[in-house]
Amino acid sequence: MTAMSMQRPSIWAVDSRVIVYSAIGAALYGVLVGIFKIPVPGSTAVDVRPAFALVPFFGIAFGPIVGLFTGLVGNMIGDQISGWGLLTSWNWSIANGIVGLLAGLAPMMLASMWSKGLMNKAIAGAAAGAVAVVVGFLFVFTDMIKDQMDFSAVLSEEYVPVIIGDLIATIILVPVLIYAWEPVKDRLGR
Amino acid sequence: MNFAPRYLGRGSWLARRDPRVLVLAVVFFVFAAIQVWDIRLVALLLVLALAYYRSARIPFREVRRQWFIAILFVSLLVFGNGIFASGRVQRLPDGAVQHIYGYLPLLGTPISAESVTFALTQFLRFMAMIAIGFPLAFAIDPAAFGVTFARLGVPYRFAYAIDLTWRFIPSFAADFRTTMDAQRVRGMDLGERVGGPLARLRRQVPILVPTIVNAIAGAEDTIDAMDLRAFGTGRRTWIRELRLDPTDRVVLLAFVALFVVATVAGFTTSSSFLWIPPFLIPS
Repeated sequence: MTAMSMQRPSIWAVDSRVIVYSAIGAALYGVLVGIFKIPVPGSTAVDVRPAFALVPFFGIAFGPIVGLFTGLVGNMIGDQISGWGLLTSWNWSIANGIVGLLAGLAPMMLASMWSKGLMNKAIAGAAAGAVAVVVGFLFVFTDMIKDQMDFSAVLSEEYVPVIIGDLIATIILVPVLIYAWEPVKDRLGR
Repeated sequence: MNFAPRYLGRGSWLARRDPRVLVLAVVFFVFAAIQVWDIRLVALLLVLALAYYRSARIPFREVRRQWFIAILFVSLLVFGNGIFASGRVQRLPDGAVQHIYGYLPLLGTPISAESVTFALTQFLRFMAMIAIGFPLAFAIDPAAFGVTFARLGVPYRFAYAIDLTWRFIPSFAADFRTTMDAQRVRGMDLGERVGGPLARLRRQVPILVPTIVNAIAGAEDTIDAMDLRAFGTGRRTWIRELRLDPTDRVVLLAFVALFVVATVAGFTTSSSFLWIPPFLIPS
């Protein structure tokens, strides 16, 4: 039973809890990412994708493995549902996975801030998510090898637009989700 | 809004293949295609990809929106790359000179036979990869994803997570619709497009947050059910058994051969460099 163990499992353990939360994160991200897209005025390339906040949030709330799976598989499923194909942009799925993985390490790296109440947790979550977005999406520069794209094209057409949109979603929605989830978590006895 | 994976190729020749073949075909094809820059060979790859796509018998009317979006996206990507590259053309043979037609107004980006060829090659390559990828989206039984990845060597816990992901999608989609309806009843105007991106993002919160938190809160039942069935204590078996038949082996072998040939040709021939069609070179 899940409630029997008194010892907190390692963040790298893959138990049924990790499997289920991973699947939930990936399914939610895959379903919601294509629906909500908010264009930023004055830009043709930048869309705010609110569902993206799920990737850092699942990493922060349930650990790096869940974050990695949510980003990696969720992005593949979103691409699959849209018809783009599961593996056409495999490097983008890996980039999404890295974001979730890095965000998942935040509670460990920001331990002192993490234990100082809900507001600090929300701020730390937004900060960790933002750093994870900026670092994780550096992986899309592999398009320079995969598609022989020019550095400035990847930077201006892909990296900058995606991190602007995803930073907005992360900074605003990750704290909202942390605020919504923490009371539920306490109620569930987690 | 249709979120559920659509099994449009059901019953087709490709859908009757072992699903592992479809996944591996994409992997070998994509890694073969990214090594080829000769436009004649890329065009050949596109023809192969389209023939493969046709064998999935996916009704065009069901996927024309996806094709439209894919073509639009690829066009923007290729065009943008041409602009931002400022005349730099990758994969030109050593010592090749560019044949410039003119310069883009304002930006001053040179347009040359080489940059046009590069853009065309890139476009065709993307289209070939998308055509190969489409059957993966529409010609695999969604219920077979878990076992497919497990038999491809993905650790069974993660393969099970992939399976579980597909199973969660329809129920989350239903929850999402219920949440939207509930917010509509409360007077929320979902079609409202006023305000800046932040205001519009804020308006999504009453839909997104309940959908997400409900999904997470409901996870405990699934976790308990898995634990009660001793998930993770031993090797898992799958209801569906996958077996490669002779046709599957031939198809797989063909894609492996394609990858090997593309790799060897990349080292021994000029296939990994641009080939400029003579009619594009100004006299």
